[in-house]
Amino acid sequence: MGPTTRFLLGRAAQAVLVLWGAATLSFIALQLLPGDPVSTLLGPMVTVTPQVRAQIVQDYQLDRPVLIQYADYLRRLLTGNLGTSYQQELPVRTVIGQQLVPTLQLAACAAVLGAVLAVVAALLTAGRPGPLRRLVEAAELLAVSTPTFWLGILLLTVFSFRWQLFPVAGAAGPDALVLPTVTLAVPMAGLLSQVLRSGLDAALEQPFTLAARARGLSTTAVRARHALRHALIPAITLGGWLFGGLLGGTVLVETVFARPGLGRVAVTAIDAKDMPVVLGVVLVSAAGFVVVNTAVDLLYAAVDPRLRGGRPRT
Amino acid sequence: MSIVRLPRILAAATATVLGAGVLAGCSGSSDSAGASAAGPVSGGSLTFAVNQEPSCFDPHVSPADVTAVIQRSVYDSLVYQDSSGSFHPWLATSWNVSANGKVFTFQLRHDVQFTDRTTFNAQAVKTNFDSINAAATKSEYASALFGQYYLGTKVDGQYTVEVDFSRAFTPFLQAASTTYLGIASPKSLTQNASHLCAGGTYSVGSGPFVESARVPGQSVTFTRNPNYGWGPEGSGHSGPAYLSKYTIDFLPDDSTRVGSLTSSQVDAAVIPVTAVKSVEADTQLSYVAHESPGIVYGLQLNQARTPLSDERVRQAVLDASDVPSLVNAVYFGLYKPAWSPLSPSTPGGTYDSALVNSWGNDPTAAVSLLAQAGYTGVDSAGYRTKNGVQLTLHWIYIAESQTDERDTLGQALVAEFKKVGIDLERDVVTEGSYFTDIEKGDYDVLDLSWARGDADILRGFYHSASAAVQGSEDASNTRDPQVDAWLDQADGNVSLAQSAAYYQDVQRWTIQHAVVLPLYVTEYQLGVSKRIHGLQYDVSGGPEFYGAWVA
Repeated sequence: MGPTTRFLLGRAAQAVLVLWGAATLSFIALQLLPGDPVSTLLGPMVTVTPQVRAQIVQDYQLDRPVLIQYADYLRRLLTGNLGTSYQQELPVRTVIGQQLVPTLQLAACAAVLGAVLAVVAALLTAGRPGPLRRLVEAAELLAVSTPTFWLGILLLTVFSFRWQLFPVAGAAGPDALVLPTVTLAVPMAGLLSQVLRSGLDAALEQPFTLAARARGLSTTAVRARHALRHALIPAITLGGWLFGGLLGGTVLVETVFARPGLGRVAVTAIDAKDMPVVLGVVLVSAAGFVVVNTAVDLLYAAVDPRLRGGRPRT
Repeated sequence: MSIVRLPRILAAATATVLGAGVLAGCSGSSDSAGASAAGPVSGGSLTFAVNQEPSCFDPHVSPADVTAVIQRSVYDSLVYQDSSGSFHPWLATSWNVSANGKVFTFQLRHDVQFTDRTTFNAQAVKTNFDSINAAATKSEYASALFGQYYLGTKVDGQYTVEVDFSRAFTPFLQAASTTYLGIASPKSLTQNASHLCAGGTYSVGSGPFVESARVPGQSVTFTRNPNYGWGPEGSGHSGPAYLSKYTIDFLPDDSTRVGSLTSSQVDAAVIPVTAVKSVEADTQLSYVAHESPGIVYGLQLNQARTPLSDERVRQAVLDASDVPSLVNAVYFGLYKPAWSPLSPSTPGGTYDSALVNSWGNDPTAAVSLLAQAGYTGVDSAGYRTKNGVQLTLHWIYIAESQTDERDTLGQALVAEFKKVGIDLERDVVTEGSYFTDIEKGDYDVLDLSWARGDADILRGFYHSASAAVQGSEDASNTRDPQVDAWLDQADGNVSLAQSAAYYQDVQRWTIQHAVVLPLYVTEYQLGVSKRIHGLQYDVSGGPEFYGAWVA
C-alpha cells in the first residue's frame, strides 16, 4: 500500500467521523431552536385542524423521544437513506439532487475565475512597486470589502437591466452563469491575490531568486516557475477553504440572481425546521469540505516536492 | 410559507439600488406597445415573475396565495368567481341549494377531460372533496374552507353531484370557486399522492394549461392544453387558450424582479409598493392593482391578557391612532386607510361603509380612557403607569413578515402611541418563538392580513370556535356569544342581504369593542407589459392566463 493510498484511507475514516459530528451537531442545534416542530413546519398563515396536526405528528413520528429519533436517523443514514422532506414531501435525495448541479457549476466557475484573477494580479504586481501595484491593491481591498449581494445587484443593474448582455435570473444556460460567477469570484480573487502577493514578495527576496536570475532565467520565468510555488501553499489552503464554503450554497447570490442552489434550500428548511433536509444539506456540505481538504493536501505535495514521499500534511 | 430573505440592513440597501435599476431600465428598452387594435392572436408566450415559491404546489394542501395563482390554469373549479365577486358556471353548468341550505347539488359538464385523458364526472368531484378532507392529505387551508360542516359528497348519476353539510353553509359556493378546491384528476390524486407537493407534471387537472416542467428554485412552465373547450362562462371565450406557453419565474429579490420587468426580461411581475411610482412612469408598462378582499392589514388586540383585557385601554389604542394620516405618510396615498377589519372589496355588499371616519384621532379621549382604566401615573419616560407599572404593549412579529414598508408604519405607530403615554414595543422574534408565544398568548398585539373573496373569513378571526384551529387568525381571542350568533347566521340559510347585514354587525362590534386596529387595505400589485392583452384577474387580483395573448 503506497503512502497516498494509506493517506486516502485514513482520510475516509476521518470523513466518517466528520460527517457524524456534523449531523449530530445540526440535529442538536435544530432541537434547541425554540418552537413546536409542527407549528414551525406549518408556518404562520395556515388554518389547520387538530386532526391534521395529529396526522403530521404521526407521519413524521415527532412524538417519539429525541434520542430515539436521533438513533433512528443514524440507522437510516447508514443505509444511505436521507429521509423525506417534511415540507416538500419529496425524498431529500431528490431535493438536494435537483440543486446540486447548479451549486457545483457556480462554485467551480467562481473558484476557477477567482484563482485565475488572483494569480494574474499577484504575478503582475509582486516585487514591483509603482502605480499599477497601488491600483491593484486598492481594487483588492474594494473587492474584499464589498458585500456580495451588493456587487451582484450592481452587476445586474449595469449588465442586465441597462445593457441586457446577460439574463437576470435562473440557471438556464452559460449566459446566466456569468454574473453570479463574477459576483462570487471577485471577493475571492481579492483575498487570494493579497495572500499570493505577500508570498511572492517574500520568495523574490530569497537567495534562490538571485541564483535563478544568475542562471539566466527571465524575471517572468523566475516568478512563474520558482517564486509562485513558494507562495502557493498558503493560497491553496485559503482557496480550498473558500471553495468548500461555496459548495454549501450561497444564499445571497442565489437570492439576488434567483438561481437554484443549496443555500436557499437550507435556509427554507431551517425556517420550517424541516429536519431531514437541513441534515441532508449539512452532510453534503461537510462531505464537500472533506473532499476539498483532501484535494488540497494532495495539491501541497504536487506543489512542494519537499512534502512528497513522506506523510502529506494534515 | 418560507422564503429566502435578506437581512434587514441588506434589504434596505437593496431597495436603494432598486431605484437605480429602474432608471437604467427605463432608458434601455426599445420596442413599443400599443400597436394592436386587432383581436386576440393565438400563439406566443410570456413570463410572469412572482416573489415567492410555495414549498408545496398542491392547492389542496398549501395555504399560500401564490399557490392559488400558480395552479389556477391547471385546475378548473366547479364555479367561477369573477373579479366583481359574482359566480358563473364552469365545470358545473348549474347548481342548486336546498331550502334548508345544507345540500348543494351541481349539474356537471359532460365534455370535460383531464389532461391525463381520464374523464371528469361526479365521482371525480367526490374523490377530490373527500381527499381534501382526509387527514392523510394534511390540508393546511382547503379543508378549513368547508371541512368543519362537511358530511360528504354523493354521486347522483354520472354528472350530478350532491355535497352535504351538517348545517346551512352559504360560503361553500365561494370556496368551491377557489383554486384550493380545484378539481384534480382522481388518477393523479392516487398515483401521485406522495408527489403532489412537487408540482410540475405531477399536477394534473382539466385546465387550459398543462404544468409541463418545474425547475425548483427557478421557474415553472405551462403549455397549452389543445383540447380545452370548457372555459368559465364570463371569461369571454371557451376554446383553447391563446398563449401556447407561459412561464412563472420565482424572483425573491425585489430589485431583481423589478429590474427584470423594466428591462423587459419578464412580461409581468408582482411588484413591491416601493416600485409603484417607477412602474407607473414607464411607458412600456401598465400598473395594475387590486384591493385584496378579506381581512385588511391591521393589529389584532389580544383581549386575553392585561392590559388589553380592559376594553377602555383597547379603545384608547384606537383613539390614539390617526390611521389616515399615518397611512398617507407612509404610502403616499397608494393604499387606502382601513376603517373596518373587512376590506371594502369583499364581495356581497358585506363591507360596513358606515365605519368610515367613525373612530380614531382623538388623543384627548384616549388619555381620559386610560385614566379611567387606572393609568393615572406618568413615569420619567412619559409613559402612563398604573400602580407603578408602565403601560406597555408587546407586538411580536417575524422580521420577514414586515414587507410592504410595514416596518415604517410600525415605527410611526410607536411614535403615535407614545403621545398618549402607551409604550408600544415591537419585539422581533424567530419563527419558532412566534408560534410558541402565540400558543401561550404571550403578546398584546399581532399584525395580520388575510385575503379571501368572501366575508366568511371573519369567522376565522372572531368566532370562538376558531380557537381550536391552529393558525394566528384567532389572535384577538374574541369570545362573544353575540358575535358567534351573527357569524353562524350570516353563513346560514339566509338571503344575501340578510347575510351582509350580519357581517356588518360583526364589523361594527369589532370596532365598538376595539378588538382590532385596522390600518390599511392591502393590494395585489402588478406591473404588466403593454404587449400583453386579455389578462383577467381573480377576485383577489391574481392574474388568470386563460384569456391572455401577446401582440
